[in-house]
Amino acid sequence: MNKYELGIVDIRNIIATLDKVYAYNFKDYALTFLKRRIERIIEKYNLKDADGFISKITEDVDFFNIFLHEVCVETTEMYRDPSLWRILNDEILIKLFSENTNSKIWFPEVSSGEELFSTAIILKRLNLLDNVRFVVSSISKQNIQNIQEGIFDSKKLEVNESNFKRIFSDSNLSDYYSQQNELAQWDISLIKNTKFIKQNIIFDDYPKGVKLVLFRNQMIYYNQILQEHCIKNIYDCLIPGGYLIIGNNEKIDYWGADKDFAIINKFESIYKKKLS
Amino acid sequence: MYKAVVIGGSAGSFQVITKILNSLPENFSLPVLLSLHRLKHVRSGFVEALSIKSQIPIVEPYDKEIIKPGKGYLAPSNYHMYVELNKRIALSTEEPVNHSRPSIDLTFETAAQAYRDKIIGIILSGANKDGAYGLKKLKQLGGTAIVQDPNECQVKTMTEASLKLTPADYTFTTEQIINFLLKIK
Repeated sequence: MNKYELGIVDIRNIIATLDKVYAYNFKDYALTFLKRRIERIIEKYNLKDADGFISKITEDVDFFNIFLHEVCVETTEMYRDPSLWRILNDEILIKLFSENTNSKIWFPEVSSGEELFSTAIILKRLNLLDNVRFVVSSISKQNIQNIQEGIFDSKKLEVNESNFKRIFSDSNLSDYYSQQNELAQWDISLIKNTKFIKQNIIFDDYPKGVKLVLFRNQMIYYNQILQEHCIKNIYDCLIPGGYLIIGNNEKIDYWGADKDFAIINKFESIYKKKLS
Repeated sequence: MYKAVVIGGSAGSFQVITKILNSLPENFSLPVLLSLHRLKHVRSGFVEALSIKSQIPIVEPYDKEIIKPGKGYLAPSNYHMYVELNKRIALSTEEPVNHSRPSIDLTFETAAQAYRDKIIGIILSGANKDGAYGLKKLKQLGGTAIVQDPNECQVKTMTEASLKLTPADYTFTTEQIINFLLKIK
């Protein structure tokens, strides 16, 4: 019953290897998270221990790509926290995207695409989809490919549907996907205006002039140093008055943050970039 | 000598948990980590209900919040709650464990890794075996393992699974748990 466990030294060695061989620096990921994630990968791919992991990833670039996919945490569901999505539907998206065309929404690190498709479906319902361009960044090539294909696990359909019903009681999520056996596929015309960016750990290439950033429950896997780095980069990419939404138990609390951002809704963690 | 208490249970152990929390004095010297099974789409109400008569403040912590003595930390709905080695809370939306998010096993295991032999782990009434493995890890790392007396539990699955996997240091009734905690200096 006891599973294999990495020690601190093992994790440091793995971080050093990823940096040396592939120039991906995971040192600012949350330590317990990285430990658990790599232990899970070692078990799933029968690599036995830290040395097994290190030699496999050093020799096999395909496995490195698998690792980048596996280290990311899939978004739990469509419309996680329905009350937030109701605010996006009723207020924020209309306010930001009714008049301007070619406005950008940025998803700074995406694993399985639920936030992107959730947003796109609402915009489509509001008849605003053509006004918006999505920018989707991910450290994993595999994640990007999966999102582009719009394929997802139909096991999640029940929770996805029930969340959707909490927001739109008169409508069905199934209007936006097709289903075959265990796999379901989103209507990928929803994301036709999307630019995908394959990035290193975070933000080596990021968009400018963004009106809305959705970055929920990703920074929880980083330490405070990387969290602050992310928020400062997001600040730079947002237009004044642009919105940033993070996970509901995340907060922006670096020194001086109150000069950069105003809290619009504490319960839903909605922030707005101050005007100057 | 102790530095933290971690408690696991399900919504069914609500009364026991409030009884325990309500008996702790305002100046209780340890943080209390609470990993309780709860409805995933109900975000508000639980922490408020636990706070009504508690003298120690109870919060649903922010990610990377520093863990302080004399404060209760309730795992937020639909998140796992971990303890980082630097004694901060870390939240996670990773896949459920034993169909549970929050998972008691994960809170117990990481709390035990952070506090080693300076932690007390308490498993209360609950409807699945989540928590049993976490309590075993906690005991292996030197922590003190307490299981609520199954005879007192409405649902015995969690406590019996825990006792089956690891001999607890104490099998206590609610009163005995409270007395034990109140004697901590």
